[in-house]
Amino acid sequence: MKTDNDILVKIENLVMHFPIYRGVIRRQVGAVRAVDGVSLEIRQGETLGLVGESGCGKTTVGRTILQLYKPTSGHVYYKGTDLAKLKPEPMRLMRKDLQMIFQDPYASLNPRMTVRDIIGDPMFAFGEASGKQIDERVQELLKLVRLDPDFANRYPHEFSGGQRQRIGVARALTTNPSFIVCDEPISALDVSIQAQVVNLLEDLQRDLGLTYLFIAHDLSMVRHISDRVAVMYLGVVVELADRNEIYDNPLHPYTKALLSAIPVPDPTFYETRQRIILEGDVPSPANPPSGCRFRTRCPIADESCALERPEFREVSPGHFVACIKVGMQTNTKEVINQESV
Amino acid sequence: MAEKILDVQGLETQFKTPEGIVHAVNGVSIHLDEGETLGLVGESGCGKSVTMLSILRLIQSPPGQIVAGKAIFKGSDLLAMSQEEIRQVRGGQISMIFQDPMTSLNPVMNIGKQMAEPMLLHLGITPKEARERSIKLLESVGIPRAGERLKDYPHQYSGGMRQRVMIAMALSCNPQILIADEPTTALDVTIQAQIVDLVIRLRQELGMAIIWITHDLGVAASIANRIAVMYGGFIIEEAAVKELYANPSHPYTLGLINSLPQIQRKGRQRLYSIEGMPPILLQTPKACPFAPRCRWVREKCWQQNPMLESIGENHKVACWVDTTTGSER
Repeated sequence: MKTDNDILVKIENLVMHFPIYRGVIRRQVGAVRAVDGVSLEIRQGETLGLVGESGCGKTTVGRTILQLYKPTSGHVYYKGTDLAKLKPEPMRLMRKDLQMIFQDPYASLNPRMTVRDIIGDPMFAFGEASGKQIDERVQELLKLVRLDPDFANRYPHEFSGGQRQRIGVARALTTNPSFIVCDEPISALDVSIQAQVVNLLEDLQRDLGLTYLFIAHDLSMVRHISDRVAVMYLGVVVELADRNEIYDNPLHPYTKALLSAIPVPDPTFYETRQRIILEGDVPSPANPPSGCRFRTRCPIADESCALERPEFREVSPGHFVACIKVGMQTNTKEVINQESV
Repeated sequence: MAEKILDVQGLETQFKTPEGIVHAVNGVSIHLDEGETLGLVGESGCGKSVTMLSILRLIQSPPGQIVAGKAIFKGSDLLAMSQEEIRQVRGGQISMIFQDPMTSLNPVMNIGKQMAEPMLLHLGITPKEARERSIKLLESVGIPRAGERLKDYPHQYSGGMRQRVMIAMALSCNPQILIADEPTTALDVTIQAQIVDLVIRLRQELGMAIIWITHDLGVAASIANRIAVMYGGFIIEEAAVKELYANPSHPYTLGLINSLPQIQRKGRQRLYSIEGMPPILLQTPKACPFAPRCRWVREKCWQQNPMLESIGENHKVACWVDTTTGSER
């Protein structure tokens, strides 16, 4: 049974618009609608995968949850507290519980700080530990992420990409958080190293009871690590379901196209697979299409799709989709198959 | 048996750095048949790009130096040609698509001019003919309103469209060999699928041979006829595409394929991971470069680097151990 107690993070109608200024007096002429009405629930101890192409707003969702951006409107509840309404100081203290692992392990570590200072900095910032305690904690964390504790006095440039990402993971764990936003933590790493970091993240989740929001564009990795998966397109979530449900029974035409575009390391697979190749590029989030955002590239769109934004509704238990064509399900399938031939 | 259009033998490339000599490519022999697509797979730093750049003599020297080897293209050695001769081949008979379409296009030159440049040089046609041909090429790679868009600059194109422009440019002089260096890595999956489909279609229409460099075994499976896997500056396995994925034989290839999460897989199994890190190529390699990370490693592996040997039809591997039985070959 799901109760409200299970829900760790709840996002309601989150909107994040970045203003565009033009001219000498810097008048606001428009806004990039990076996130435009996203509602999600993240349950205690689960991994929610958030996938989409570049520019769809998935990173902005992650950052807005952590209040790294002040949301334009909407609510972010963490254990019942609305983070969007918190004053700076209580929010700062709240950050102990909410941490982030960044995409680029080369850009997210200060090259002039030693590993000890990088990992210990969060403790120092909260002013609650002596130097000796920090040293001990750093040693403990390095062991936890399977790095040699003797590395504490080295600088980031002495490490490889995979090792740097482990340092980033250790830093996120310093304050014993319960919720971590993983923003494409493996996409900058080599294939053989990706598996190491993913296994590490899974072990840590099991041992420390962490909850992850796992942002990625690699759909096969997301299926592997997530419990539930949300698919974003141009600032809105178009589909949300359990991971096996979304891969076995995708309903939204964008999810279908995305899944069919994944390269699979099996040459025989390509002889039988039907691909849905989407035409064109993602429209600009400064001027998104009316109605359904996906209609300009959608193989089954018609005039009715331009009229209003499709409601994000539950079509089967736990499976949400935002498409007016779904419901005439068999119909949708046929049309897509025809288009892709 | 198809004709060999390119035959590389014993290629060695090194770079002089303050830390010492980096042995980037250590005796790579590889051939390309007419009309075939070869996938060159490996992780960053394994030497796959340097191999291709060496063949086209695009290695900056110093610090880089091609120490040994031959690259026979249509009877002549590319590595022994004069600068003037290689310029006739490069961009004309052999052309290349680079990884990052933003940094490989000139931001202050409009697309029309950039497209025309190689054609004026290699085909000896007039600017007007070059313009007409550019429009045709852009249309064939799927750029709408190509005529109007010739005067646009690269920043006015999206990432996928820039990569299409790169492809159109690479095809403009009817190359016999197209070298594609991770052309889809910087792109989103749906755009990547568009580009792969485009290249497959153009390959059928134009009949050129392709070398597709990638780190993504999934992309390689979708486009290549034959695959060569590189590690530490060596080719460690080479096989026809189906054979490679059905029977990966080198411990590294095996690990690489197993470490990928399979989209069809339901249960949550732990990913297979290759421990350790790729080698730093500062010493002359004597042992097998994969030995420090290999689970089948044995005494012999530390003493002698195995050569690429045939283990079946269209299948070569460089390993002392038969990974199916665990015994020495």
